[in-house]
Amino acid sequence: MADTVLEVRNLKVAFPCSGGVIRAVEGIDLDIHRGECAALVGESGCGKSVSALAIMKLLNTPPAVCRADKLQLDDLDLTHLPDRQMERIRGKHMAMIFQDAMTALNPVMTVGKQIDEIYLRHSRLSRREARQRTIKALELVGVPEARSRANSYPHQLSGGMRQRVLIALAFACVPKLIIADEPTTALDVTIQAQVLDVLKNMQQVHGVSALLIAHDLSVVANMADTVYVMYSGKIVERAAMQELFVEPLHPYTHGLLASVPRISDDRQPFVQIPDAVPHPMRKPTGCYFHPRCPRSSDQCQQRMPRLESLDHEREVRCWHPLRQPHEVRS
Amino acid sequence: MIRNSPDTGPLLEMENVSVNFPVKGPYPFSKKRWIQAVTNVSLQVSEGETFGIVGESGCGKTTLANAMIGMVRPTAGTVRFQGVDLYSLKPQVFREARREMQMIFQDPFSSLNPRFSVYEIIREPLYIRGQASETAMKAKVLELLKLVGLDEDDMYRYPSDFSGGQRQRIGIARAIILNPRFLVCDEPVSALDVSVHAQILNLLMDIQKSRHLTYVFVSHNLAVVKNICQNMVVMYLGTIMESGSSDAIFANPLHPYTKALLSAVLDIDVTKPRDRILLKGDTPSPIDPPPGCRFWQRCPSAMKGCATIPAKLAEVEPGHPVACHLISGFSPQQVADGLHEPVSPKSGG
Ligand SMILES: Nc1ncnc2c1ncn2[C@@H]1O[C@H](COP(=O)(O)OP(=O)(O)OP(=O)(O)O)[C@@H](O)[C@H]1O
Ligand SMILES: Nc1ncnc2c1ncn2[C@@H]1O[C@H](COP(=O)(O)OP(=O)(O)OP(=O)(O)O)[C@@H](O)[C@H]1O
Ligand code: SF4
Ligand code: SF4
Ligand SMILES: [Mg+2]
Ligand SMILES: [Mg+2]
Repeated sequence: MADTVLEVRNLKVAFPCSGGVIRAVEGIDLDIHRGECAALVGESGCGKSVSALAIMKLLNTPPAVCRADKLQLDDLDLTHLPDRQMERIRGKHMAMIFQDAMTALNPVMTVGKQIDEIYLRHSRLSRREARQRTIKALELVGVPEARSRANSYPHQLSGGMRQRVLIALAFACVPKLIIADEPTTALDVTIQAQVLDVLKNMQQVHGVSALLIAHDLSVVANMADTVYVMYSGKIVERAAMQELFVEPLHPYTHGLLASVPRISDDRQPFVQIPDAVPHPMRKPTGCYFHPRCPRSSDQCQQRMPRLESLDHEREVRCWHPLRQPHEVRS
Repeated sequence: MIRNSPDTGPLLEMENVSVNFPVKGPYPFSKKRWIQAVTNVSLQVSEGETFGIVGESGCGKTTLANAMIGMVRPTAGTVRFQGVDLYSLKPQVFREARREMQMIFQDPFSSLNPRFSVYEIIREPLYIRGQASETAMKAKVLELLKLVGLDEDDMYRYPSDFSGGQRQRIGIARAIILNPRFLVCDEPVSALDVSVHAQILNLLMDIQKSRHLTYVFVSHNLAVVKNICQNMVVMYLGTIMESGSSDAIFANPLHPYTKALLSAVLDIDVTKPRDRILLKGDTPSPIDPPPGCRFWQRCPSAMKGCATIPAKLAEVEPGHPVACHLISGFSPQQVADGLHEPVSPKSGG
């Protein structure tokens, strides 16, 4: 498709270790369109961060073993691109926002200087001009007194401010794609609301595509256009955000949505999903969700369902989805 | 002796409780500064209820909870449990009282000793008390394992064998082994996988019912608090901003901070568009906070007098006190001085 900014086909990541192999990502496909915000949701350990790092080619290999049939960023084919060239792509065309800004920022360099560097690297600007741009960028993400804050070191800023700095940093080179891995998980609710607002704004103003990684469905509901739900290394459902939340089709998505306590109603006891996510080394046979699934059948215990498309617009990996698919995608 | 207190009063009562922590200055003789973690908090928790404490990180929830159960001595004020001033008790009686009050911690990964088996972890409080025989302890642990949804086989396994949700079940079993009456749950699910939140919350509710426990439930998740708490307080920078029944607070939030907090909660109801109040700036530092309303730097309704004049809790409707000058009003003299005039909210902080 012409307007696809990121196309990922059959991405796999494994970690061989003493007791066997952890298959962290088991062949996922992603399509992110221009200006779109796609979200990857799922519980701890389901492979979200590893997927993101694999797309950025930031995983250390070894220990990780990565493979993809296709990894295309706009007009750039990254599938077999060597690491040296990836470095250039990363600063310029893809940027990442991490959960923990403290580790993502250089602790011994002022935040202003760190942003200046990006401008200096990607455009012919004098130091003065670069600093002007930096101050503008900091103002844009809502850092008050940006001129003086630019001279702060990361540890002198609050968590919310550091996250804003990371956003400014990520957008500085106007990349084609931003990957934000749990950008607000460490923040308080009122600060989270501010930072998400800034992120959404920046994404729309610059028309940048985004892959948002989150475990919190409410964050996704407020940010994403498209949602990919992951479970134990596989995509189990993909749909437009509204459709997914209004009519989830995979029993896991359905269970998750039902179990989230809502301000708008009082339901007690809370709807619960039994048991817990399987250990990555001890994934069950058949559908990985079957030990927890209320719709599980013999078939589910034996064979992994394929991701099948439904109404062209959404996909679900389930033998007994809440609504039947009309056509099969090969 | 403690159990025979009159049943009329609240089970737990805090009166003007403050907790300050000293801050180390940059050099030995620098002026001593204080983190005012909890300031002048009064509240009452009745037998059998679930009492919610909500607020953002660092607002003093854990410190307040610790003061309740005798883990942090307040700098000022009194804590009465079953009518008895907890911090005036002799050590022996104090220990006795402490057994009635237990805590479930936020992080089930660091709160369980990795070198102890599940059996040793759960029986520990009983073991320390030292009155039960080995067989009695074993029977008790087994009973509790079943209650929290674990197996007999799990008894001799170690914490590392368990998922976060299972570890929290172990923590719950340990907390109730001495048959406490009062249980503080400090963010009991926020470190757990989302799909197990409901399991743990339901388990806690079941245990409360079957064992007639009183809960204090600390959370930043307003939806959970709304669903399980009868009464609650909203805290900001160590002080209570609003308190009352959760029905009243959710139906009619009156404090500007409560309103902002409620509107910042992201919901998964995608069909309903909502107006957001986006607060400016960050939570200020609790070190030497401003003398007036602690929320004034971020408050969208701040008035000139808010920075310097403390807002006292005043009841708007019975049992629903709110600490805000918008509610309590300024005196005629203060109005004459123009202290009621709005200031545009200041950014930064
Ligand atoms: N360096 C590594 N060595 C071995 N296993 C790893 C490594 N990094 C990740 N894994 C495993 O890969 C799986 C996926 O991890 P990943 O970090 O992608 O999860 P996640 O979905 O981002 O979870 P979270 O929400 O906790 O961040 C996990 O089972 C994890 O244990
Ligand atoms: N033992 C201590 N010594 C010094 N300062 C402390 C101590 N315990 C807490 N504080 C400070 O007191 C304030 C309140 O902390 P507290 O842990 O009670 O907040 P909280 O509301 O539980 O936050 P969170 O939601 O992050 O758990 C914070 O500023 C904290 O840094
Ligand atoms: S395939 Fe079967 S077990 Fe898996 S989610 Fe669907 S119904 Fe449940
Ligand atoms: S007292 Fe003033 S600053 Fe504080 S909440 Fe009320 S209006 Fe806002
Ligand atoms: Mg992750
Ligand atoms: Mg705490």
